Amino acid sequence: MASTFVRQKKHGASLILSAPLIIFAALFVAYPLVSGTMTAFTSKSLLDPTDTFNGVDNFVSLFTKPAFLNAAGFTLSFAAIVVLCEMVLGFGLALLFDRKFPGKKLFFTLTLLPIMIAPALLGIMFRLLLNEDIGAIPAILQSFGLSVSLFSPSSVVPLLVVLDILQWTPFTFLIIYAGLQSFPKELLEASAVDGATFLRQLWHVVLPVLKPVLFAAFFLRAIDAIRTFDVIYVLTAGGPGTSTTTLSIFIYKVAFEQGDFGKAAAASVVVLICLLPFVPFIVKRIASSGMEGK
Amino acid sequence: MTTLEAPTRRRTKPKQSLGREDRNPRRWIFTIVIGIIAILINVPLLNAILVSFKPDGEIARNPIGLPQNATLDHYANVLYASGYDFPKFFLNSGMIAVGTVLLVLVIAVPATYAIVRLGFGGRWIIDGASGLRLLPAIFFVVPFFILFSNLGLQDSVPGLILANTFLNLPLAIILLAAGLRDIPKEVEEAASVDGAGVFRTLHSIVLPMLASTIVAVSVLVFIFTWNDYLFALVLSSSNATPVTLGASNFVTSTGIRWGDISAASFLSTIPPLLFAVFAQRYLVSGLSAGAVKG
Repeated sequence: MASTFVRQKKHGASLILSAPLIIFAALFVAYPLVSGTMTAFTSKSLLDPTDTFNGVDNFVSLFTKPAFLNAAGFTLSFAAIVVLCEMVLGFGLALLFDRKFPGKKLFFTLTLLPIMIAPALLGIMFRLLLNEDIGAIPAILQSFGLSVSLFSPSSVVPLLVVLDILQWTPFTFLIIYAGLQSFPKELLEASAVDGATFLRQLWHVVLPVLKPVLFAAFFLRAIDAIRTFDVIYVLTAGGPGTSTTTLSIFIYKVAFEQGDFGKAAAASVVVLICLLPFVPFIVKRIASSGMEGK
Repeated sequence: MTTLEAPTRRRTKPKQSLGREDRNPRRWIFTIVIGIIAILINVPLLNAILVSFKPDGEIARNPIGLPQNATLDHYANVLYASGYDFPKFFLNSGMIAVGTVLLVLVIAVPATYAIVRLGFGGRWIIDGASGLRLLPAIFFVVPFFILFSNLGLQDSVPGLILANTFLNLPLAIILLAAGLRDIPKEVEEAASVDGAGVFRTLHSIVLPMLASTIVAVSVLVFIFTWNDYLFALVLSSSNATPVTLGASNFVTSTGIRWGDISAASFLSTIPPLLFAVFAQRYLVSGLSAGAVKG
């Protein structure tokens, strides 16, 4: 009797405690998910806000014109390149940092700063740095006799890749470095005694133990790289032409420049459906890596 | 023997010796290499700071060097002299970020307690939160725009607080759940035996023990909200414009006044940078725990 009473009391309490979350989630998570999906099957637009059902027209239009597929292709290849580079560089930087040296605290703080700067503001700072008339980088290039137009179609993609690496290597560094701190150093000493070289140690001892951490860093970065918007939008607005249009920029432009809500929602649904199968997998892996860490 | 042994031990077990290690000249190589990397990745920020102190005429003439006739004019322009709306943007960002931190805590703290300790909703709410964090925010841009237009929340500070709460709730729930699981249950059970109800236990026992996690969540949510650009771009037009959007508006709407732009973008990054320097402990623990625990 007493225990059911307590349980009922607990049940009531948890309902009260969770009420704000339930209300918020219903209004701002569930409702937008449903209404966004429904919008994908209408011709709703900025100018015509009525829901006129048009079947799968939006999806047909997405897949029969090259713009959406080009954006998807650019996004995936951009994400693949930057994340790979950021993983390698972040890992290298974490190994460099994993020792005592004078000034370590100061440089650790400095290294983390780019993560804290708003990507949109960093985009403005990049513009300042790269501007043909007043930028420091073109001035330095010119002093070497090089006059490269950084935002020309041929150099803009490598440029954006470098800028993304500059901003987000600190993130992979931080995650991997945190992982290295809980790394059992006895393992290294034991294998050093056995005469293993540094590279062998890295491959056979460090990498296997750090695998869950590397996995977490990789997927969090990959997910973020796939939804890249701010820096590229501020720097190139997806141009020249559509050469640097990511999926996020594509959806934004379809919705708010062309005013086609239906088509933008359809593109969002396609992106969501493509990412959804990975979600439980990542959630499970990241959660289980947390258990191992404890 | 002893004279031979001492240096070898020092080289193979660097972690265990303190002060003497710093005098080893090899340590300084790492200081130099890492110092160069740390400064290199902060070149965009450092360049913006330099430009912000150069008079208009000097910006194009002297793109690389230090300011020769340093001036505070650009800061005066941005803050009061030129009639920009920058102070308003800054205030908006502050209100949106603080409001979001408060709303996230009010929703997430009690709900997470109910989920973790009272078994509300079971595992799937935490998994749902982890999953939601992986979905692209762009999906929600069109439904949020339509919903906010209907609710009259378009271009308002409360509207942006709600949108950023949506963006940050998943991470807050994940971090708070991980923090709660680290607190021994026995203390709460003892309190409950002593007759304390759920709410009193939460208020006077759980909250103080959870304080450092709550600070970490607050710092992260503040920074992420301050740095948001996509939702600000879609959901604000003039009244609620935050600095990320306001500073990038400078580039197009006022011609090219590079000095003012660099002063505005540097001022806008100061709050997150202060957190990065003075609350680094919470940031690092929050970011790395958010990456691996779920």
